[in-house]
Amino acid sequence: MTIPNPLALIAEITHRCPLHCVYCSNPLELAATSSELSTNEWLDIFQQSGKLGMLHAHFTGGEPLARPDLTELIAGARAAGLYTNLITSGIGLAEARLHSLVDAGLDHIQLSFQDSREDAANWIAGAKAHAHKIELSRVIRRHKIAFTVNLVVHRQNIDHLDEMIAFIEQLAPERMEIAHTQYYGWALKNRTALLPTMAQLETATAAVAAAEKRLTGRIRVDFVVPDYYARFPKACMGGWGRRLMLINPAGKVLPCHAAEVIPGLEFENVRQQTLKFIWQESASFQRFRGEEWMPEPCRSCDQRTEDFGGCRCQALLLTGNASATDPACSLAPAHQIVEVALLEANSSTAVSHPVSAASFVQLQQRVGDLWSYRTNPE
Amino acid sequence: MAPPEDSSQPRLAAGCRWGGSEEDRVILFPEGAIKLQGTGRQVLERCDGQRTFGQLIAELQAEFGDADPAKIRADISQFLDQLRHKRIVDY
Repeated sequence: MTIPNPLALIAEITHRCPLHCVYCSNPLELAATSSELSTNEWLDIFQQSGKLGMLHAHFTGGEPLARPDLTELIAGARAAGLYTNLITSGIGLAEARLHSLVDAGLDHIQLSFQDSREDAANWIAGAKAHAHKIELSRVIRRHKIAFTVNLVVHRQNIDHLDEMIAFIEQLAPERMEIAHTQYYGWALKNRTALLPTMAQLETATAAVAAAEKRLTGRIRVDFVVPDYYARFPKACMGGWGRRLMLINPAGKVLPCHAAEVIPGLEFENVRQQTLKFIWQESASFQRFRGEEWMPEPCRSCDQRTEDFGGCRCQALLLTGNASATDPACSLAPAHQIVEVALLEANSSTAVSHPVSAASFVQLQQRVGDLWSYRTNPE
Repeated sequence: MAPPEDSSQPRLAAGCRWGGSEEDRVILFPEGAIKLQGTGRQVLERCDGQRTFGQLIAELQAEFGDADPAKIRADISQFLDQLRHKRIVDY
């Protein structure tokens, strides 16, 4: 089979983050600060990416702003012909630094909010970040750069989605992304507190549809649905090794954010191999490419060219077998696992109330029976 | 939302720019890219924020002398309206 070029690079440049969001998609085992790639190693990666035909570089983390060389990295990615997207909490960004990022060629900034309400936002993030983000939004709008606001929705905030959409609207981005929590990493650990009820989901879906209609042509609304409630699984990453490469802070090259959880797969490192070799020939990228690996019912299913069998990491995390049909699929032999989680989520409508504390340690103690906050790498 | 008027000056929306190679020109936007060939490319290359929609239509009507001018106008108008909904074009 011929292997198409990768389309985009997800550059996880550090796992350090000033926030502790309870739904963070980073792995539970974070890459150590001392193992991070150097500036020059990243600059070489961008050159290789451009030559491989990639079009986008998505800078993410952790918090990318934690790297003092971010401006240089953005300039390097632009010089390699890539569209540059910064996915950030905004902590560590003031006007002067934003200015230098825009000068370096930053094309787009995606700022995440945790809620429209300050106490709730800070409770989810485990940090007092909300007020700064609002201030930063105003600064962003004074610069010539495209702006997306991202909001992760879940059981604890979804009941006031209308209010959150109105909040985002007044920040005046070009685009808003309303994304349901995906259950990997810290979010899977905290799933019970995050999974919405069916009734919540229906109300939210209607709210998004109304907003799309109202905002059309002004703010584009993208909606990421929760796959636990879907009939068919999501086409995770557009298929394994089909579109995207993710490089973690230590240089490990992965087909997706969570792939390291899959046992028995050895992931190559850019310190030892070229991106071209890793994309085209490495065993890890070949492992779930195409349809050879598929079990039934995927193998003979019409959906297989749409969803590629769903997510390998979710299959592993929920069934213990990375080659199983994604249990989010209604046709999966192991779908019952998802049904049980949904049954549990729908057996109560209880949501919690924001808790504040004088310190992060105190906050951790106060919410210990609800969820675990994301920690930081060594 | 309305289709462009003759005095509108279509341009790429914020966060959208040209990329790719000369043979394979694409418009890049935050979460993706669209490959443009043929007429689509000719239209978008004229969305420079300088030309008016009226000028753009006149140029393409001249270019495609054989086709029905009213149909050219209607097709391009619809094309730009759709791209505006996707936040790729502004006017």
